[in-house]
Amino acid sequence: MEFLDLLMLGFGEAMTPANLGFCLIGALLGTLIGVLPGIGPTATIAVLLPITFFLPPLAGIIMLAGIYYGAQYGGSTTAVLVNLPGEASSVVTALDGYQMARQGRAGAALAVAALGSFFAGTVATFAIALAGPTLSGFALSFGPAEYVSLMLFGLLAATILASGPVLKAIGMILIGLLLGMVGTDAETGAERLTFGALELFDGIDFIVIAIGVFGFAEIITNLERSGSEGVSVAPLTRLWPTREDFRASWRAVLRGTGIGTFLGLLPGGGATLASFSAYSLEKKVSRHPQKFGTGVVEGVAAPEAANNAAAQSSFIPLLTLGIPSNNMMAMMLSAFMIHGITPGPSVLTNQPEIFWGLVASMWIGNLLLVIINLPLIGLWVRLLTVPYRLLYPAILLFCCIGVYSMNNRIFDVVLAAGFGLLGYVFRKANCEPGPLLLGFVLGPLLEANLRRAMLITQGDPSIFVERPISLTMLVATVILLALMIMPSFRKTRGEAFQEEEA
Amino acid sequence: MTALKSVALASAMLSVAGAAWADWPTDRPIEMIVAFAPGGGTDIMLRTLAPFVEAELGTQIPVMNRPGASGEIAYTALSQAKPDGYTISSLNTPGFLTMQVDRNLRFDPAAICPLARIVEDPGTFIVQAGSDYQTLADLVAYAKEHPGAVSVGTTGLGTDEHLAMLQLEQAAGIDLTAVPFAGANEARTALLGGHVNVIGINVGEYTTSDQNAVRALAQFAEQRSTLAPDLPTAREQGFDVLMSSERGLAARCDVPEADRARLAQAIETALANPEFQEKAKQQQLPLSYLSGADWTAQMPARLDRFREILAMVKEGQ
Repeated sequence: MEFLDLLMLGFGEAMTPANLGFCLIGALLGTLIGVLPGIGPTATIAVLLPITFFLPPLAGIIMLAGIYYGAQYGGSTTAVLVNLPGEASSVVTALDGYQMARQGRAGAALAVAALGSFFAGTVATFAIALAGPTLSGFALSFGPAEYVSLMLFGLLAATILASGPVLKAIGMILIGLLLGMVGTDAETGAERLTFGALELFDGIDFIVIAIGVFGFAEIITNLERSGSEGVSVAPLTRLWPTREDFRASWRAVLRGTGIGTFLGLLPGGGATLASFSAYSLEKKVSRHPQKFGTGVVEGVAAPEAANNAAAQSSFIPLLTLGIPSNNMMAMMLSAFMIHGITPGPSVLTNQPEIFWGLVASMWIGNLLLVIINLPLIGLWVRLLTVPYRLLYPAILLFCCIGVYSMNNRIFDVVLAAGFGLLGYVFRKANCEPGPLLLGFVLGPLLEANLRRAMLITQGDPSIFVERPISLTMLVATVILLALMIMPSFRKTRGEAFQEEEA
Repeated sequence: MTALKSVALASAMLSVAGAAWADWPTDRPIEMIVAFAPGGGTDIMLRTLAPFVEAELGTQIPVMNRPGASGEIAYTALSQAKPDGYTISSLNTPGFLTMQVDRNLRFDPAAICPLARIVEDPGTFIVQAGSDYQTLADLVAYAKEHPGAVSVGTTGLGTDEHLAMLQLEQAAGIDLTAVPFAGANEARTALLGGHVNVIGINVGEYTTSDQNAVRALAQFAEQRSTLAPDLPTAREQGFDVLMSSERGLAARCDVPEADRARLAQAIETALANPEFQEKAKQQQLPLSYLSGADWTAQMPARLDRFREILAMVKEGQ
């Protein structure tokens, strides 16, 4: 079969000692920058890009790709250990992962995340190999109208993220939407909520808010506790997941992989949406949804599988159409171009060794990451036993460096500190920051696409129901809404029953 | 002992300070501010160029990204740096010019002196390869029949593409619908999916796109770009549309003139280096060198043109 021949060609290319070496370097570097909060893969790749001038094309691209998916692995490590999501896509991992860490199950959480990611990466790699060109057509059929419906669905799903009252979750989404409006309006050029500050012209960076409401707020909360002893962390019971953990998480990994592979194709926020959706779905189908947010292993497995699958499948539009779906992919595009390769259908036919070599290296890279990360789990987890008086100043320092280095300005650090205080207030009020971040990420996309759709149709809203994908998603939104209202009835009834029995 | 040490230290510092002017530019690194995020066209171009300028000047040139507000943050930072020649910045038009029309700037544009223009990349309108529009005239004819029905993807208000569209509307007496996207790649995706009819991008971006999927209608330059010698300009097709992105480097005007001349000289020599030219070719950079003085001389005319266009927009609203 031709497909197998091509795959063998790819593995032949990827398994040469040099390419294997660059794959390893990339994966290692990626893990490292993923663990350091704030220092993202985009900036790292930008700095390393000129170095790839001196490498053969495939080796350079393999290394950069390794950094990208390596960072996805590393990013979840800090989310689990210290409640610090390094990227938008690992925000939901922090919800249950950090709780697991506090119960002494950090090792299990990290292992499930790594194994789930590996499985998802494998599936997504084969999806690229088998169906790349077909799937990219699907990505193209997503126009403004489809995005509007998808975002509506996503925002509604965000309310499921919170384990507390729905009303508070909606409040947090609305605050997120408000924060998302800060900046220059793309269509009229008007300044919105910038208070005349030049630094707010382009809006607020996701990292600023995430590090503020998760990282800084966590540290402030811990200051309330008496001292240097590791109060919140239960003694480490075991490093590896139990049989129950595996049993509970394999379905979650499967579902997360499916969602991730699919949503990763979409330009803009695919990986983020994927992890949020996977978590919401898991909570929806779970037999014990009320336990989500208290440290259930599915709550780690599903989003981690989803964001890794999405990270891989976001290569599909780039490789098959030459369209980068996010900033990272735009950097990859530059990496290709520096070597005079224009990604697109022609690469598939003229330089199959590049395409298939990269695909094969992704699978090898995922394998390497598991091999690197599993033994490291013991080391990472021991980090938790470092006394807070040492650990927290260090985290604080890395956070500040990370936030500063995004745009090289102190303004962002001060802003993050402000969000830290805000996050602390939210905690005191029992409001969870997850929905806020999703509102912040999706709000601007919803607004921009709604306005685009209205401009294109010159004000005719029927486009949302005329286009089949859009209609399907609107129907799904309505069903979700119905589902949300009904169980809440059931739940209150259930509670009433319990009270009667008690 | 301590006193002795501090005297020694002080004299050492003095001698360094005293030598600072004489040793320029070799005694400490020259910071190169880039007004865009890492990985953008301007960033990659300057990161490629920096080592060659370093070799010319015998110093180090670290790149510092200060993205945001289409360059205003970087220009403000440049204006606040010491005028000692140790800070230079990227300079991009039309952003540098349009912001003078419609914003209250936090820096004085007249205090920024261009050192060299490196690249001029004309704007172009592209359509799907299967589109009915073969030329700009086809597009204009359809838009005349159906006012507002032709959607043009841009990357926001006042950007190159948007200004080009406004000029075409004016030149041909038609009405188009601008649809803003967050970046050229998003716009390109929307074009390929058939969600908008036309998008504006730069010729440099067009030549690196898949030529089987898209077709360019015109380039908005006075002369055809070296990257696309077969693509007619809008003027050749009878429409007065001029729009190109220029990228270069600048320093504060109150940097001593000798130092500015030395910087400009080093950049010019670096640009002429065959090794750099080879790399620029790989990256499809439409190199178009202009000296700082020549570039400065061109700016008022362009600025007037933008002022006119933007005034028309204001009236239309």
